[in-house]
Amino acid sequence: MALARRELIQAAFGLLGNLGISSAMGHYTGQRTPGKAKRVISLFLAGGPSQVDLFDPKPMLVKYQGQRPGGVDLRTERQTGGLMPSAFAFSKRGRNGIEVSDILPKLGGVIDELSVIRSMYSFNPTHTPASSLYHTGTILANRPSIGSWISYGLGAENQNLPSFVALNSSGPAARSAFLPAEHQGMPLNGADVEPEKMIPNLRNKKLDASAQRRQLDAVQALNQRFGDAFGADEYLSGRIQSMEAAYRMQFEATDAFDVRKETAGTRALYGETPFGNGCLLARRLVERGVRFVNVGSGDWDDHKEIEAAYKKKIPAMDQAASALIVDLKRRGMLDDTIVVWGGEFGRTPVSESGTGRDHNPYGFTMWVAGGGFRGGMAHGATDEFGFKAVENRVSIHDLHATMLYALGLDHTQLTYRYAGRDFRLTDVFGNVVKGILA
Amino acid sequence: MLRIFWLAIAIVGGLWGQKVDPAFFETKIRPVLASQCYACHSAKMKAPMGGLVLDTKSGLEAGGANGPVVVAGKPGESRLLTALRFSDPHLQMPPSGKLADAVAADFETWIAAGAVDPRTAPAGGETSKALKGMSLDEGRKWWAFQPIAKAAPPPVRDEKWARGKIDEFVLAKLEAAGFPPSGQADRRTLVRRAYLDLVGFKPTFEEVEAFADDASQEAWPKLIDKLQALPQYGERWGRNWMDVARYGEDNSTAEATNQPYPYAWRYRDWIIEAMNRDVPFDRFVKLQLAADLMPDAARADLRALGYLGAAPIYHKDQRLSADVIGGFLADDWDERIDAVTRGLLGMTVACARCHDHKFDPISTKDYYGLAGIFASTARIERPLFEVEPAVEARYMWVQRRLIDLRYSANLLTNEASTVVDSDKRVEKWKAEIETLKAEMLGLRAKYPKLVDSVERYWAPPAPRPAAGEPAGQRRRPVLVSTEPFTNAVYDAAQYVDGSDAHYTFLVYKPGEARDVPVFRNGNVATPGEIVPRHFLSVLSQGENRFGKGSGRLELAEKIFTDAAPLAARVIVNRVWGWHFGRPLAPTASDFGVQGEAPTHPELLTYLAADFVEQGWSLKWLTREIMTSAAYQQANRPRPEMMKADPTNTLVWRMAPRRMDIESYRDTLLRVTGRLDHTMYGPSQDVEAAENVRRTVYGRVSRSRLSPLLKHYDFPDPMQSSGGRDLTTTSLQQLFVLNSQFFQDSAAVISKTVQDVPTESRRMRELYRRLLSRDPSAAELDLALSFLSKGTLEQYAQVLLSTNEEILWP
Repeated sequence: MALARRELIQAAFGLLGNLGISSAMGHYTGQRTPGKAKRVISLFLAGGPSQVDLFDPKPMLVKYQGQRPGGVDLRTERQTGGLMPSAFAFSKRGRNGIEVSDILPKLGGVIDELSVIRSMYSFNPTHTPASSLYHTGTILANRPSIGSWISYGLGAENQNLPSFVALNSSGPAARSAFLPAEHQGMPLNGADVEPEKMIPNLRNKKLDASAQRRQLDAVQALNQRFGDAFGADEYLSGRIQSMEAAYRMQFEATDAFDVRKETAGTRALYGETPFGNGCLLARRLVERGVRFVNVGSGDWDDHKEIEAAYKKKIPAMDQAASALIVDLKRRGMLDDTIVVWGGEFGRTPVSESGTGRDHNPYGFTMWVAGGGFRGGMAHGATDEFGFKAVENRVSIHDLHATMLYALGLDHTQLTYRYAGRDFRLTDVFGNVVKGILA
Repeated sequence: MLRIFWLAIAIVGGLWGQKVDPAFFETKIRPVLASQCYACHSAKMKAPMGGLVLDTKSGLEAGGANGPVVVAGKPGESRLLTALRFSDPHLQMPPSGKLADAVAADFETWIAAGAVDPRTAPAGGETSKALKGMSLDEGRKWWAFQPIAKAAPPPVRDEKWARGKIDEFVLAKLEAAGFPPSGQADRRTLVRRAYLDLVGFKPTFEEVEAFADDASQEAWPKLIDKLQALPQYGERWGRNWMDVARYGEDNSTAEATNQPYPYAWRYRDWIIEAMNRDVPFDRFVKLQLAADLMPDAARADLRALGYLGAAPIYHKDQRLSADVIGGFLADDWDERIDAVTRGLLGMTVACARCHDHKFDPISTKDYYGLAGIFASTARIERPLFEVEPAVEARYMWVQRRLIDLRYSANLLTNEASTVVDSDKRVEKWKAEIETLKAEMLGLRAKYPKLVDSVERYWAPPAPRPAAGEPAGQRRRPVLVSTEPFTNAVYDAAQYVDGSDAHYTFLVYKPGEARDVPVFRNGNVATPGEIVPRHFLSVLSQGENRFGKGSGRLELAEKIFTDAAPLAARVIVNRVWGWHFGRPLAPTASDFGVQGEAPTHPELLTYLAADFVEQGWSLKWLTREIMTSAAYQQANRPRPEMMKADPTNTLVWRMAPRRMDIESYRDTLLRVTGRLDHTMYGPSQDVEAAENVRRTVYGRVSRSRLSPLLKHYDFPDPMQSSGGRDLTTTSLQQLFVLNSQFFQDSAAVISKTVQDVPTESRRMRELYRRLLSRDPSAAELDLALSFLSKGTLEQYAQVLLSTNEEILWP
């Protein structure tokens, strides 16, 4: 496919397609949707955050506390007990009075930017397959992630940076599978804030910039001579250019990946926590033209002691995620940057071990902001206890289809021919949820 | 896929004229019912929502718990329409949101015209019938399935160029297009090409010059013979095959039920040995599918079963329902079907899992006929030493059972109260472990290694790490082992036992085989008719039913008898691609309707026939290709040809290209004198600084593939590869510019030459070592002027980083 495309380009422009810049062009050839978004930041709370404690208030949990009325005997991974009310109160926030947990004061403060989807559902109660489904649209471990699809479809905005970065993400979140290697998520360990420690081979440990430039000049001089003697060749000239791009990437990435270059005020806004640094880094990267940044966050698999755990870890998440919205908005970037927040599933309204909650793929909450999403709204609903999505149900495929739509891509037309068929992020599924778009 | 669906509608849509025509139902009504309603209103369900069934004619007529939903001729009284319109707050369907007004309008039209429902098929027959693949009869005429014979090539005008039949076919095509081939490459280019192609690294200066100096006619075939006889030939060609075999040493995740394969490396070693021995390709494949069932296979050939025994599998959390576990199991079978059919037959059979193949003559029955083979094949660690067959059979069953029991007991002990009555279960399982332990201990005198291998399943779990000790040690999986075992398979039927509502076991019945049902729409919860194990109908001749055990050996035999023409074409095409960078049929794993047709079908057929005649010898095939004039062509771009045929479909030259990562890394190690030629054995992290072995001995992880390999287009080991893309990215160049690997290489080689007297002789030596040639005067000038400010070590890295170093000549 890529080859055929290059041939087309050659025919169109009468020159050799250049491998070094091929990634600059998106491969999407379908009809453009009205969507205007250009990039995505995905905040992935691995393990599954609890909807009834955060975005989906269920007063009935108090009334039926400890009981198991009909409809809550859905099978989950482990044995569960009676209904467990949230330890946190909810308040109406924003212009439309969307109810948000009081443990999320700051996200409540930006609720007018968020489209809260209370009716998400998934198909599998186990982390690995559900997480694969979340990122790639299937539980199979051999399909590309949404980030790879978007990188493939839209191409890179900045030649000196990778188009897809996956921070604190493993496995499916960064997977390019059969898509060309340049579309895989560049894996980053966010435990550190020094770019050289985050990205292997980013800087030359032996040579300073001028010595390295001199060395590269020598390489390029030989490459030029070799190319002249050989004759016009796409690969040879492409590699010359990609050497230059790599050289520039060293400096640009060193800058782009360094959150320490932000002002003290901005760093304080996000909070100097791992998730805060990750969200801030994501903003720096999309600002410089990275298409898709996935920011993974710790452990949200609270099978027990969920109240204590949330009191401890929610404030940092609340601060970082809301800061991202505020910061993108004040920089005028929120309009064309999609921010999506969620986990591979939610948690049960019934308790596990008395103090925790089990995995719940039947119904959970995610939110989407910016990039043409409406904001200040809640879409869909779970049942009276928050177990199962019942109204305006939204699947992962629906959400993926909607995100692609917001990026100008028709999810049925973003395809890649492999193993005899045209693969799609949404396989044979997915409906665009127009109700959450502006 | 959806595109296909719409296309189908468009085609049929043109056919209907009157609204009462059944086609209206098929195009406007049924698709909506199927996509929006069946999920909750199906006759397949024990309790469809609201008692309403919409996937049968009778269900639609009967209505639901609240009465009829459709009244023919009376849209106003049809509650189905009310629900679709969302006008009544208590009656709104589908729950995912209101459908377009046009849909409701179609339903109104349909009901008003009498609600014609032409359905007769029972529920579940809902696969799209609109677009069908070829019929079997049509399919049997498909080019790729035709018998192979050595038909004479067409006549050519230039009678001097061709050296053999390959060349006559190639030349005939070129002449028909009005172009001459390229001349022969110079000898120094040829020798580089031969080394890379046959042993996977570039030759030294001395090796280049020895060939350049030998002007005899026989020099080239002698070089090929010499290189094919080197053990490094197997390393190179083994790796080619490993792409197709989706070789990997673990799974995409590593939970309790899908642990890494500690003996996968033995499979890799077997491949290398087999390539070196030039085991005929048909036997080579048969051993990988069924070595355990072949009476003439050596015990050591059990390693070949890594093809199936170290294949990708998914974790099965046994607390999940039987349907979910059954789904995972079906995914495992699907993986095998895909690897075997695309890898060996160039057929995309996995497309027929949910519906008949949309293009190729493959039915879901054919798919499930193959699935039964893999449902009757269980993966297991088998001993490489001789064991009495009955003891071994029992051992294998016990091994699997112990793994499952141990996992289950741990799961329900360590995770408090996850399942009702878990204590009682754990007690029972522990008792069974004790019984099996006693049985196994009885084997200790005769087979101590067998007992050792399963001891860990009854030993008490290691204590949890004390405070301060690093966690994670306890649970770290065994990545690799050198015990005398191998990751293999044996014949045992697998079933999902859903009799315990809270805990699901897989049951293995050794020596038994199992036919599986068609899973309608690929859903294990909706089984259809049971299909006997059999081969793809379109390829089969005569009797087509597998009855010996799982049927693996019969499958392997069918591939090389009934389907031999296809199997031969597929491997010959791949081998051509490994030599030329572009196979004759560009989609090497898809010879079906959706694949790209070969550029030289007659050549492919001729070569396939000759290959079979030569006893399926890969060394013969490689030699045949390399001794052709087509292969020995120069690689230079010719302006008129770059315009006419930039992708070299006419084979007017040898296409220059980037070396693959294995050749590149191995060459860099070899030219700098760092390469450790030690063959075989457990894998090492390919990026570890101390690892200077050939890349084929680098660990291939399905969960954490080395970024270096990934950046250089190493194929995803989760699936059989149809050929590598060769991309050029900045991240590749960061490795060249800054990695310790490059810096170490430069440091080592500059030390090696530092004692050579005079700067210019040192530089000449560096050129000889790194690029296997002398520098020109101008190049020497450039280098010496660099040395005025830089170091020899830096210039060594310059030479290592050049395009010349990485280019496939």
